[in-house]
Amino acid sequence: MTETGHTRTEELITQLVADIRPVRPLRPPMLRALAWLAIAVLVIAAVVAAIGIRPDFMDEMGETHYQLEWAGAMLTGILAAVAAFHVSLPDRPRAWALLPLPGLALWLFSIGYGCMTDWVRHGPEGFALGVSFFCFRSILLISLPLSVALLAMLRLAGPVRPVATIACGMLAASALSACAVDMFHGDEATLMVLIWHGGAVALLVGLGTLFNRRLFGLFAPRPA
Amino acid sequence: MSSPDEDRSPGPEQDVGWSALMAAAQGGDRAAYRRLLTEITPYLRALARRSLHRPADAEDAVQDVLLTLHSIRQTYDPARPFQPWLVAIARRRIVDRIRIQIRTTGRETAIDPFQETFAAPETNEGGFEADSIALRRAIAALPPGQRQAVELLKLKDMSLKEASAASGASVPALKVAMHRALKALKGALGPK
Repeated sequence: MTETGHTRTEELITQLVADIRPVRPLRPPMLRALAWLAIAVLVIAAVVAAIGIRPDFMDEMGETHYQLEWAGAMLTGILAAVAAFHVSLPDRPRAWALLPLPGLALWLFSIGYGCMTDWVRHGPEGFALGVSFFCFRSILLISLPLSVALLAMLRLAGPVRPVATIACGMLAASALSACAVDMFHGDEATLMVLIWHGGAVALLVGLGTLFNRRLFGLFAPRPA
Repeated sequence: MSSPDEDRSPGPEQDVGWSALMAAAQGGDRAAYRRLLTEITPYLRALARRSLHRPADAEDAVQDVLLTLHSIRQTYDPARPFQPWLVAIARRRIVDRIRIQIRTTGRETAIDPFQETFAAPETNEGGFEADSIALRRAIAALPPGQRQAVELLKLKDMSLKEASAASGASVPALKVAMHRALKALKGALGPK
C-alpha cells in the first residue's frame, strides 16, 4: 500500500505543479483589516445617512455610560476585525483571537454600569422588559453586507482556521452594526440593549461558528 | 524502530531554502514548486506518521496537506519563516484525518485471522477437541442397539424411516433406543 500511496502522492505533486499559476501574496493583515474597516464605515455612514441620526444622540453621548457603551462596541468591532485578519493566517498565533476581549470587557462593563444607573434613576421600572425587534433586525441587516465583505476577504482562512476567524469576523461585523444602530435608534433601558444588541451579536457569532464550513464554502478557493 | 523519515526536520538553512522556493512558486516557477513539494513530502510524511500509525492514513494526510498548501499558497508571506506556516496547515489536516479515522474505526470491527465459527463464545473456547473425543468414547460405550440409533439418526442424519430401512429395527424401537442413548450420554458426559 505504501508504495502505491507514495506513487499517488507523486502523481498529485505533478498535477499541482501543472496547475500552478502566479499568485500575489496577501497584503499585511493590518492593512487588510483597515481596508475592511473603511468598507464598514462607508456602509454604516450610508445607512445612518438614509435613516438619519436621532435628535437626542449627541445629548446622550454626553453621559458617561453611553460614551463607554458606544466606545466598548466600537473598540470590540475594531479589535475583532484586526484579530480576524491575523488569526486567519496559518502562521500567526491563535492568541490573536483573544484581542477583542478588552473591548468586550469594556462593553459589558458599560452595560452593567448603565443597568445600575437605570436602577438608581428609575428603580425597578428601569428594568422593564420590552420587545425591540427594530434594533435586533437593524443589527442583523447592517451586519449582512459587512459579513459578506469580510468573508470574501478572509475566504482563504476556510481550510485552516475557520472557527476562530469566523467568530472574530462576525463579532466585528455585529459590534460595529450595534454602534450604527445606537446612532439612529435609542431611548431604551440598558437591559434592553443587553438583550437585543447582545442577543443579535451572540446570534451572529453563534451562527457563523456553527455554519463556518458552509459559509466558507460559498467563498472557497477553487480546488486544484 | 524509527523510520529514516523521522529525522528530517528542517534546519534554519533548509527553512530559508524552502521559503525562497515558495516565493518563487508564488511567482509561477514550476521547477521551484516541484522541488519544494518533493522536498517537504518526506517531512510531512514523518509528521503525519507520528499521529497516524497506518501508512495509508498518513499518506492520505500528506496529500491533504499538499492540496491545502496549493489552494492557500497566497497566505504565505515570503518575509516570514516557511516552516511554521507549513506545520500549521499540516497539523490541521492531520487532525482532520485522525477524526476521520476515529469515525471509521467506530463503525468497523477488526476480524481475526482465525475467525469464529459461532457467535456463542462457548463454541470457540479451547477444549473443543477433547470434548469431541469424550463424546465419541461415550457413544462407543453404548449398547449396540442404542449406538446404532445414534449413528444413523444423529451422525448420519437419517430420518426415522430411513434408519428403520437401514437397520431393520422398527420406528418405535429406534425412538426408544435413541431416547435411552441420549439419557446414557447425558449421564456419561454431564456434570458429575
